[in-house]
Amino acid sequence: MFSSAGAHEMTPTYPKFEASFVPEVSKTQMRLFNRRSDVSYYEIGVFDSEWDPVPFVTSYKVMKMEYLDTAEFDIYIKQGDLERATYICSKSKLLKKDVTSTGVSSRICSKIK
Amino acid sequence: MKKVLAVAASVLALNVMATDVPVVGNVQMRCLITTDIAGVYGNPLPQKLSTAVADGGVLPVVRFDVTLADNYKAKITTPTSFSSSPVLNDTVTWTGSTAVKLTSDAGMSGYEAAKVVYDATTEYDLTVAGSTWFSADLSATNGYDKAFPGGVYNAILVAECIAK
Repeated sequence: MFSSAGAHEMTPTYPKFEASFVPEVSKTQMRLFNRRSDVSYYEIGVFDSEWDPVPFVTSYKVMKMEYLDTAEFDIYIKQGDLERATYICSKSKLLKKDVTSTGVSSRICSKIK
Repeated sequence: MKKVLAVAASVLALNVMATDVPVVGNVQMRCLITTDIAGVYGNPLPQKLSTAVADGGVLPVVRFDVTLADNYKAKITTPTSFSSSPVLNDTVTWTGSTAVKLTSDAGMSGYEAAKVVYDATTEYDLTVAGSTWFSADLSATNGYDKAFPGGVYNAILVAECIAK
């Protein structure tokens, strides 16, 4: 039996935005923890309540993370877009060579309240 | 001599001085998705791939850990295409079902009955804090009695934890 215990975690669950150094742009900080040995990349996305993408800025939209690595990253969203932004999500990106038979892609979404 | 004794006494005093070392823990509200078992397709018939144990496969098992009740939804989507495969010679029919395999709390016993299924996705409302294990029974059947071409077949199960 092929077993691969590994976990994906993102906090906080309900991020709070604050003013950034750029006028009319808000920011929040998220934390990602990669305990999946089969995953080295995570994609960050921001969506509205209908799951349509919302423009945002962060250092890397696809982040390379080593196994057991923790990353803290800032998300910047314009005030106008923040009103409709609902979810901040991180999704594991599986490399073709790492998928054996049935791979599991994990996605965790925090909610902006 | 007095100075030497005083220094020695102070060193001894330092050595026996007790210090409180605080250990701080912070349990954050969070959801953790753990891949406990990555499934394996069995090939019971030339035209069928299945994760069912009876078909020689291994069911994928995903665990969701939530630290606060009623704040998350679990969504599990079974594959409807191969992420990689040899060139296919016919259309493939996909089936998939997700079920609660194990729970850490008796209060989660209603999860299976309350699940919502649409398209290839099954949604669970995680109303109790703790761990829930989900397994997925997947199968892919090639066109009418037509054998799958030889090669390696991979598919992706998507497990999502969404804050409510």
